[in-house]
Amino acid sequence: MAKISTSVRWLPRFLGLALFGAAAAVLFSLTLTGPSLAEEPNQGTEEYCLSCHGNPDLSMTLPSGEELSLYISPQELSQSVHSPLGIECQACHTEIETYPHPEVGYETRRELSRLYYQSCQKCHSDNYDETQDSFHAEAAEAGNLNAPVCTDCHGAHNVRPPDEPRSHISEICGQCHTQIFESYRDSIHGSALLEEDNPDVPVCTDCHGVHNIHDPRTTQFRIESPELCAGCHADPELMGKYGLSADVYDIYQLSWHGVDVAVFQARWPNLWHNSAVCTDCHGVHDILSTEDSDSRVNPTNLLATCQKCHPDASPNFTGAWTGHYRISLQRTPFVFYTEAFYTSFTPFVLWLSGIYVVLQIVRATVARIRRSL
Amino acid sequence: MSVQRRPGPAEVVNGIRTERTFKRFTLAQRWEHAFLMVTFTVLVLTGLPQKYFAAWGHQILTTPERLFLVRRIHHIFAVILILEVVYHLGRGIYLLAKRRLPGDIFPTWQDVRDAWQMLKHLTFLSDKKPKFGKYNFEQKFTYWFLFLAIGIMVISGIVLWFPILLTRVLPGGVIPAAQLAHSSEAIAAAIFVVIWHFYHVHVERLNLSIFTGRLNERDVRDYHAEEYERLTGKTVDTEDDTAAASHGQPVQSQERSLDV
Repeated sequence: MAKISTSVRWLPRFLGLALFGAAAAVLFSLTLTGPSLAEEPNQGTEEYCLSCHGNPDLSMTLPSGEELSLYISPQELSQSVHSPLGIECQACHTEIETYPHPEVGYETRRELSRLYYQSCQKCHSDNYDETQDSFHAEAAEAGNLNAPVCTDCHGAHNVRPPDEPRSHISEICGQCHTQIFESYRDSIHGSALLEEDNPDVPVCTDCHGVHNIHDPRTTQFRIESPELCAGCHADPELMGKYGLSADVYDIYQLSWHGVDVAVFQARWPNLWHNSAVCTDCHGVHDILSTEDSDSRVNPTNLLATCQKCHPDASPNFTGAWTGHYRISLQRTPFVFYTEAFYTSFTPFVLWLSGIYVVLQIVRATVARIRRSL
Repeated sequence: MSVQRRPGPAEVVNGIRTERTFKRFTLAQRWEHAFLMVTFTVLVLTGLPQKYFAAWGHQILTTPERLFLVRRIHHIFAVILILEVVYHLGRGIYLLAKRRLPGDIFPTWQDVRDAWQMLKHLTFLSDKKPKFGKYNFEQKFTYWFLFLAIGIMVISGIVLWFPILLTRVLPGGVIPAAQLAHSSEAIAAAIFVVIWHFYHVHVERLNLSIFTGRLNERDVRDYHAEEYERLTGKTVDTEDDTAAASHGQPVQSQERSLDV
């Protein structure tokens, strides 16, 4: 009994001594390794990572069998927006602290992308949240893993400001939306952007939004689309630069189509309507100058465009369209004379009638007063 | 009202006044007016929310179905109005062919002279009122203003109803012109009816002859003196009321009339 009690009393002392010894050994080992790696960069720095990943031949085979190059171009990295600001590898590759790396948690290249893009939200939480509400995120949720994530548009190690040059934005969208990009490329907007680097024409994101891109085929998008066009086409200064009228939207709103659209927008934004919006006549991505003989609203093609909604329309019917122009004798003589009639003769007759009635009232009142005297 | 007025040349026997009336409109004409009145009102009421759809119409026509319903009602009453117009014109042409079309409603130079005289009277430049025939120039003006207005409304309305069909023949420019005309003329006609027609048949005096078909002797004498003279052979003094009173005519203002 007494023997046991002495051994129990001795045990904690032994353990304490052993722990101290281990700690001392660890500390000592640190002082040993320190000087021996003096020429190598510190772990976790970009320089350290590039000591391996700067090798163009570095690659690995993913569990899916895909070959993944592990080469990071030091030059690209140094030209990206992040690296020069001191935002280095570990800012995104948070789980890798040292070599050897932890086991990879992804099977395919795509899984890798979908895993790493989530790092963006650490700093870019606003834009990241917007993408989570976007049509692209919806597509991903529905199972389409090819739906783009941050890095698909912005790049990964070579992230640059997306609008240098501006055409870069539309080209990025065109990587997936190839057909739309082709028609956009030939449009008045796209050709000015791609050929002249025009700063005013819309790139994809000007109309579709940037991170919170929504489905442009919805009723809501359709009903709001004229306002989208008006954003530029009702700006006199901007339109003046190109000799275009900035009245088009105002005049559209007075038209049959425009009134319908305005009411649906205000009252029934979620009901589908058939009244023409800008794109129904002008086209969407393939918009051309009205003077272009291929334009849908060029006089040569106007009838066919009207017939899309008014199938029985005859050639005369196109004359009903006042073409976003103010009433003028040369362009719209019928309306001109009608307006002249109703702004001069009719008010004149009505005023005359009104004055005559007032005179009658005065005369009758005076007569009545005189009679009662 | 009747107390204030100079009583007409009615016979008063035992306190009961019998009033002589003159036939003014045929039954067919009274029905025409009734149809016109109802269709005009319904067309204005169903047209206004469509014209001002973007401004306030959509607050009444809160669903597209209501808009389509109002449009349907507008079209139905437009058809009734067109039938009335066809009847009216057809009857006019028929009577003209038979050389029995009465000329009372057609404007003459006398109307211009009457208007000038009336203007002088109203501006106190003359006490004398012109002697009017069956229809005075005010009534002719009412008729012809609305005749043209309804003509414009019917034609422009048909263009708006069948734009595709009509532009097979007509130039396309008539569609926006019809749109503008239909919309503006409707307002002009509505204003005209309210200020001109309502004043003359409700405010100036209550003239229900278009409903009853007959006009009392006093109104015929006061407002259609020439017609009165033609019908009765009597001569009417057209100096206005004050002048008449000062000439010492007996004013039987205490006599209560029996309005039936």
